[in-house]
Amino acid sequence: MLGPERGVVEEWLSEFKSLPENRIPSYAGSLHLKKSLVSALYRVIQDPNNELMEPVCHQLFELYRSSEDRLRRFTLQFLPELVWVYLRITASRDRQSNGCIEALLLGIYNLEIVDKEGNSRLLSFTIPSLSKPSIYHEPSSLGSMALTEGALCQHDLIRVVYSGLHPQRETFTAQNRFEVLCFLMLCYNSAVVYMPLSSYQSVCRMSSRLCVCGFPRQQKKLWREPCNRVLLDPEFMVQMLTAVYHAIYNGEWEMGREALEDVLYRAQLELYSQPLLLANAMKNSLPDSAPDEPRGRKVLQVEVTPTINRISMSAITTASIRRHRWKREDCFDDSAAAELSHIVNPPSYNKHHHRHQHQHTPRDPATKEEREGRPHSHHSSSGIIPPITFEDADGLSGGEDSFNVNDPDEGFSSGASNSSQPSGTKAGVGQRGGSLNSSSSSIKKAITARLSRDKEREREKEREKEREKEREREREREAEREREREAEKQAELSADHQAAVLRHQQRQPSPPASIQLDAIQLSPRKKHLSFPAGPTLVRTGSTSSSKSFDCMNFNLNGGDDEREKAAGGSDREQGLPEGGAHRHSTISLKEEHLVRPEDAQDLLSTGAPLTKQSRSPSFNMQIISQV
Amino acid sequence: MTARKSGSRLETEIERCRSESQWDKIPELVRQLSAKLISNDDLGELLLGECKLQTYLKENPIKQGASPRGPRPKLVEVRKHLTAALDRGNLKADYLQEASLLMAKLCYVEGEHRDALGHYSRVILEDMQLGGAPVYRLSMIAEAYATKGLCLEKVPAASPALSNQNTGSPASNRSATDREQDIITCYEKSGDIALLYLQEAEKALSAGIQNRSPKPGPTAQDLELGYFLETGLQRAHVIHFKNGNLTRGVGRFREILRAVENRTTQSLRMTIARQLAEILLRGMCEQSYWSPLEDPPTVSPLDDPTRQGHTISKNYSLSRRARVYSGENLFCPQENTEEALLLLLISESMANRDAVLSRIPEHNNDRIISLQSASVVYDLLTIALGRRGQYEMLSECLERAMKFAFEEFHLWYQLALSLMAAGKSARAVKVLKECIRLKPDDPTIPLLAVKLCIGPLHWLDDGECFANIVIDMGEKAAEFRAKGYLAIGLVYSLKATDASLRSTQEEYQRKALGAFQRSQSLSPTDHLAAFYLALQLAVSRQIPEALGYVRQALQLQGDDVHSLHLLALLLSAQKHYHDALNIIEMALSEYPENFNLLYTKVKLESMCRGPEEALLTCKHMLQIWKSFYNLTNPSDSGRGSSLLDRAIADRRQLNAMTLPDFSDLDTGSVHATSIAASRVEQALSEVASSMQSSAPKHGPMHPWMTLAQIWLHAAEVYTGMSKPAEASACTQEASNLFPTSHNVLYMRGQIAELRGNIEEAKRWYEESLSINPTHVKTMQRLGLILHQLQRYSLSEKVLRDAVQVNSTAHDVWNSLGEVLQAQGNAAAATECFLTALELEASSPILPFTIIPRAL
Repeated sequence: MLGPERGVVEEWLSEFKSLPENRIPSYAGSLHLKKSLVSALYRVIQDPNNELMEPVCHQLFELYRSSEDRLRRFTLQFLPELVWVYLRITASRDRQSNGCIEALLLGIYNLEIVDKEGNSRLLSFTIPSLSKPSIYHEPSSLGSMALTEGALCQHDLIRVVYSGLHPQRETFTAQNRFEVLCFLMLCYNSAVVYMPLSSYQSVCRMSSRLCVCGFPRQQKKLWREPCNRVLLDPEFMVQMLTAVYHAIYNGEWEMGREALEDVLYRAQLELYSQPLLLANAMKNSLPDSAPDEPRGRKVLQVEVTPTINRISMSAITTASIRRHRWKREDCFDDSAAAELSHIVNPPSYNKHHHRHQHQHTPRDPATKEEREGRPHSHHSSSGIIPPITFEDADGLSGGEDSFNVNDPDEGFSSGASNSSQPSGTKAGVGQRGGSLNSSSSSIKKAITARLSRDKEREREKEREKEREKEREREREREAEREREREAEKQAELSADHQAAVLRHQQRQPSPPASIQLDAIQLSPRKKHLSFPAGPTLVRTGSTSSSKSFDCMNFNLNGGDDEREKAAGGSDREQGLPEGGAHRHSTISLKEEHLVRPEDAQDLLSTGAPLTKQSRSPSFNMQIISQV
Repeated sequence: MTARKSGSRLETEIERCRSESQWDKIPELVRQLSAKLISNDDLGELLLGECKLQTYLKENPIKQGASPRGPRPKLVEVRKHLTAALDRGNLKADYLQEASLLMAKLCYVEGEHRDALGHYSRVILEDMQLGGAPVYRLSMIAEAYATKGLCLEKVPAASPALSNQNTGSPASNRSATDREQDIITCYEKSGDIALLYLQEAEKALSAGIQNRSPKPGPTAQDLELGYFLETGLQRAHVIHFKNGNLTRGVGRFREILRAVENRTTQSLRMTIARQLAEILLRGMCEQSYWSPLEDPPTVSPLDDPTRQGHTISKNYSLSRRARVYSGENLFCPQENTEEALLLLLISESMANRDAVLSRIPEHNNDRIISLQSASVVYDLLTIALGRRGQYEMLSECLERAMKFAFEEFHLWYQLALSLMAAGKSARAVKVLKECIRLKPDDPTIPLLAVKLCIGPLHWLDDGECFANIVIDMGEKAAEFRAKGYLAIGLVYSLKATDASLRSTQEEYQRKALGAFQRSQSLSPTDHLAAFYLALQLAVSRQIPEALGYVRQALQLQGDDVHSLHLLALLLSAQKHYHDALNIIEMALSEYPENFNLLYTKVKLESMCRGPEEALLTCKHMLQIWKSFYNLTNPSDSGRGSSLLDRAIADRRQLNAMTLPDFSDLDTGSVHATSIAASRVEQALSEVASSMQSSAPKHGPMHPWMTLAQIWLHAAEVYTGMSKPAEASACTQEASNLFPTSHNVLYMRGQIAELRGNIEEAKRWYEESLSINPTHVKTMQRLGLILHQLQRYSLSEKVLRDAVQVNSTAHDVWNSLGEVLQAQGNAAAATECFLTALELEASSPILPFTIIPRAL
C-alpha cells in the first residue's frame, strides 16, 4: 500500500475518533466527498495482511453503529467487498486472518436483525391481489379473472414475512454462514440506490468471482488468482442477482452483464432452480444494446409508445372472445335468459357452429400440432377457424366456456371444484358430447364431465340458472330424449358429411338438456371420485386409510384410550396399560419437558411449514395479519 | 350531459359527430346548418376546417419524431376555412377560441411553430372551462396543450437566442429551466385533460349507444388517441426520465395509472404499469421508496444529482380532473416490491387478455407481439417474486403464461424452474421433459430433472433416462459431463439400496462405482464427485480406499458436512471410535444443529463414553429441536390456491429435508420401501390423530419426525443401559407422535425383550414388519426370537430374507449362523460366521446410507 493512501486512511481513522457529537451530521455529509478515501479503504480490505485492517473494520463498525443514515451507508458500500474477502479466505481455510472481517460482518448483522427497541425485526410485505380494489385498478374491470377460484382464495391480502426472527450470532459456522450473509445482502439491497458506482463495481466483481473461482470458467477471466471453489447458497445467489440487476441498470452495464452470466453459469452447474429462474428472467428481459451513456442512470429509459392496440382486431384473443360474450349479452335484456336460450334453443346457431368445428377437428393437422402444446385445452380448436368473422368466433363455443378455459387461473380450479357443489352442466357436457360425436351412454358423458371439471366453476353459475328452468324443461325432456337418440344415430352416420350434419343440427333440438340431467344425477358420485384423483399423497392417504383401517386397529395398541374406544376395543390390550402408565412416569429426560405436542401445537397449529426451507430467511412465509 | 342549453337538434347532432370523430358526416350537417341561418356560415367554416384538418391527419398521421414541413394543398383549404371563420369575428366566444386552437394546430402541422405559439398566446388556455364543456372540447384543449408543448420544445432549438442556453449565464440558464418547466406543465395538463376527455367520451359513447340503438350496432369503435393526445399523455414522463428526474417521472406514472381506466387507455396503462414496475425493480429500493399517497422525498438519490434542485413539484391545478380509483379500503402499496407486484399483476391480466389464441399464419405477427409483451411482464414478475422467495405464487403466475407458451422454450423453462423452486417436483419433471424436447442439447435441463428424480420423487428409472441424455451428449455437455456421470452414479447407488436381490444390488453398486470414478476423473476439483466415490466405496466396504477419497473431498471443501460425517463413519468402521467422535465434534462445531451428526454422536458416545454422555446429547438435541422450531412462529404455506397444490407442497416439506427419513433410521436418502412405509404410517397417523386430539394434526410432518427420532434414540440408549421403564417412556413419546411407525414398534419389541416378554416382543416385531416388511433390524431381532422359540426354519427364513435386503448386516449373518448351527448345518453356519466376522471388521457404527444422497 502506498504512502499517500495509507495517510488518507490514517487521517480518516483519527478524524472520526476526535469528532464531537454535534459535528457528526456535517461529517456524514462530507464523507462521500473524500474520493481517495474510498479506494484506499478498498485497498485495505482486499489485503488480509494489512495492519490497518483491524482499525478500519473497527471504524467501519463504529460508523455503522451511529444513528446517521449516511454513515451507515458509507459502511454498507463496502459490504460486497467484505463478503468476497471473507468467503475467499474461508474457502482457503486460513481462518486466522479473517477475524476482524468476520467480527464486522457479524456486528452489522446483529445490529440489523433488531429494530430500535431491540425487538427482532420482521421484514414483511403484502402480496397484492387483483380481487381487491387498489389505487390502480378495480377488480370488475379486469373481468371475471379477478373472481376465479385462485384469485378469491387470495382474496384476503396476505402479509408475508420474507425475512425475520434471526437469532443473534456470536460466531460464523458453516451452518449459519449463508443465513447471515443472505441477510446482509438483503440489507445492502434495501439501500442499494444510495450506493456509489464503486460499490456496484464491487458487487459485480464479487458475484463474478464467487461464482467462477475454482471452476474452468475462471481460466477465461482476467482474474486468475488460484482459489478454491466457494460453496454458495441458492438464496444468497438470488440476493447477489438482485444487486447485480440493479448495477446493470444503474451504470455498470458491462460488468453487471458479465456478473449475470457468471451467476447463471454457476447456477446451472449447481442445478439451483431459484437463481436460475431469476437469472434467466433478467437475461431475457435485458435491452438489446448498451445504453447510450453507460455511466448514467439512463438505462431506465422510457419512450413514447403508440397506444393503439398493436394486435389486430381479427385475431382471436381472450379479450375478443370476451367482447363477443358482452355483445351477446347485450342482445338480450336479461343475461340469464340469454344464457339459457343460447343453450336450450333448438335451432341454436351457436351449437351448430361448434359441432361443426369439432367434427372437423381431428382431421386438421394444425390442431394436432397444437394439442401437443396444450393437451387439454379444449379451446385450441379455435386455432383452426380460418377466416374469422365475429360470428364465427362467437359460435365457436359458447364464448363463456371458451373464455374460461383460457382463464388465467384455470390450472388451479380443480381444488375448488372438488370441494364445491357437485356440478356438471350442460354447457360443458354438451360440448364434450358433441366432440365425442357418437352415441355414448350417459354414464360415459358423466365421466367426460368429470374430466372437464376444470370448467365446473363456470358451469356452476349456469347451473343455478339451469335449475330454475329445470321444471320447464321436464316437460320437454321425454321428447328430447327421443330426438337425441335419433340425432346421435344420425351424427354417427353423417360424421364426415358436413351438409348432412348441418341439416340435422338444424332439426335437432338441444340434446344437451338431457345429458345434463344425467350429469346432475351422477354428480354426487363424481364428487366422491374426483377427490382421490389428486396428488399421490392424497390418494394414498385416503384410500389406504379406509383399506387399512382394520390393520390399524390391529396395530394401535400403543395408541391412547380414545382411539381404542373408537376402534371398537380390540382384544390386544396388553400394550395399553403399560403405555399409559409410563406416560406419566418421570424420567430424567422428561424433566426437560419441552416437546409435548400440546405445548408445541400452539406454535404450530396453523399448519406451519417448518421445513428447513421455510426457516431460511426469505422463505419464511407467514401470515402476521390479514389486512 | 352538457350544461349548455343545446339549441337545436342539429347542433346536438354536430356536437355528437365531433365528439365521436365522425368527420365524414360533418359536411352534410354543415349544409343543413347553413340552410337555416346565414350567421351560421362562420360556424360552418369552422366545422369544415376542422373536419378537413382531422381527415387530413387521419390519412397522414404524424410520425413520432418526424417534423412536418411545407404547405400541402389540402391544408391550404383548411387554412381558408379557418381564416374565414376567424376574420369575420361573428363567432361566439367559445367557437372563436376553438377556431384559434384549430388554427394553431394547423400551424403546427405545417411546421410553423412560432405562428402556432402566436395563436396560443391569443387564447388563454387556462381560462377555458373544463366543467360542463362538451366532450370534443376537452379533447381540443388537451390537444392544444400538447401542441403548445411540442411547439415550445421546437422553438428554442430553432432560435439562436436560446440555443446556447446551457453555456449561457445563470440568468439564461434559469430561464431555460423555467421554459422546460413550462413545457412539462403543458404536457402534464394535456395528459390530465386527455384522461378526463377519454373518460367522458366513453361515458357519452355508451350512453349514446343505449339511447339510440335498441339493437346492437356495429361494434363500438375504440376511440383513437391520435398523435397529439398520445404525446400529451406520454411526453411529460419521457422528459422526466430523460432528465434523470425519477421522482417526478414515477409521480407522473402514478397519476396516470390512478385515473380510472377505459378502453382507450388500456394499452397505455399496460405499458405504463410495466414501465413503472421496471423502474421500481431496477431503480429503487426499499429505503428510497415512497408510497403513492405520500409526498415524494425532497432530495432523492434517484434523481440526477447534477440537476438536483430542479425538482419543482407540480405547480398547477385544474378545475376538473379525471376520476381516480376510489372507495373504501383501497389497497395502497407500502413497499416497492408490493407496488411492482400489483402493477405487474395488472399488466399481466391485460397481457393475458391480449393473448392471441389462434395459430393461423395470418396472425403470426400478432402472436409474436402478444407473446413479447407478456414475456416481459412474466420476466419482471419472476424477478419481483423471486427476490422475495415467493416461488409458489410465481409458479401459479407462470402457469397462466402457458397460453403463450406453445413451442416457446423460455416460458416452459421458467415454469419448470418455478415449479421446482416451489417444490412441485412431479409437475416440474413433466415440464422439464417438454423443455428437453424444445432444447435437446442443453445438459442443464435433464440434470435438473435427475436432481428431482433422485431427490424428492425417487423416480429412479426416469432419473436414469435423464442422466443418460446428458451422458449421450458426450463432449458437447462440456463441464456438465462429469455431473452427468455423477447423476447416473447416484441413480445406480440408490437403485442398489433399493434392490432386493443381491446380484442386482452388486451389479448396481459396480455400475455406480464406475460412474463415480468417471465423474471424479472428469472433474477432479469437484468435491461432490470425490465424496460420492468415497461413499460408494464405503458402502461396498472398501474402507481404506474410501478414506482416501473422503480426504480428497475434504481438501476441496473442508466444510462439507457429509464428507465429515462420512469420515467419522469410516473411522468408526475401522473401530477408531475416539477419532470418529472427535471428527463428529469438529463437524458439530460447524453444524451445531445437524441432527444427523448428533445421532451418530449419540451412538459413538454410548460406545466410548458411556450412556450417560449419550443421554446428555439426547437432551441437547431436544433443546435444539425446541429452539429450532420455537423461533418459527405459526406460519402458513397455504399460498397454493387449490387443495391439490397444497397437498403437493406439504409433500415437498416431507421430502425436502436434509435429515434422514424418519421411517428409516438407517437411510439418509429416501428409500423405495421406506417411502411406502412412511405413506402407510402417515395415512394411519392421520386417521389416528383424527381420533386423538393430542397428536399434531396439521402442518408438515418433518419437525415431528425429527422429534420422534430423538426420542427413539434416547430409548435406544436406555435399552442399552437395560432400563426398560425409561426406554418405554421415551418410546411412548415417539408413539404419541407416530403410533404406527415401524421404528416405534421395533423399539417396543426391544423393550419387551429386555423385560423378558418374548411373546410380546415377537408380536411387536411382526407388527413392525407388517408396516415395513424390509426393516432389517426388526427381521434380525425376530429371527433371534424365533430361534429362541426353537422355530428354526422360520427363523432361518426371516434371516435369509434380511440378508437379501441388506447383505452387509453382520449381526444378521451372525444370527443366521447361529440358527444354522442349531439346525445342525455346521458348514453353512461356519460360512455365515466367517462372513459376519469379516463384515463386522468393516462395519460402521451407523450404516453409511444414513448420509443422504442427492444431486
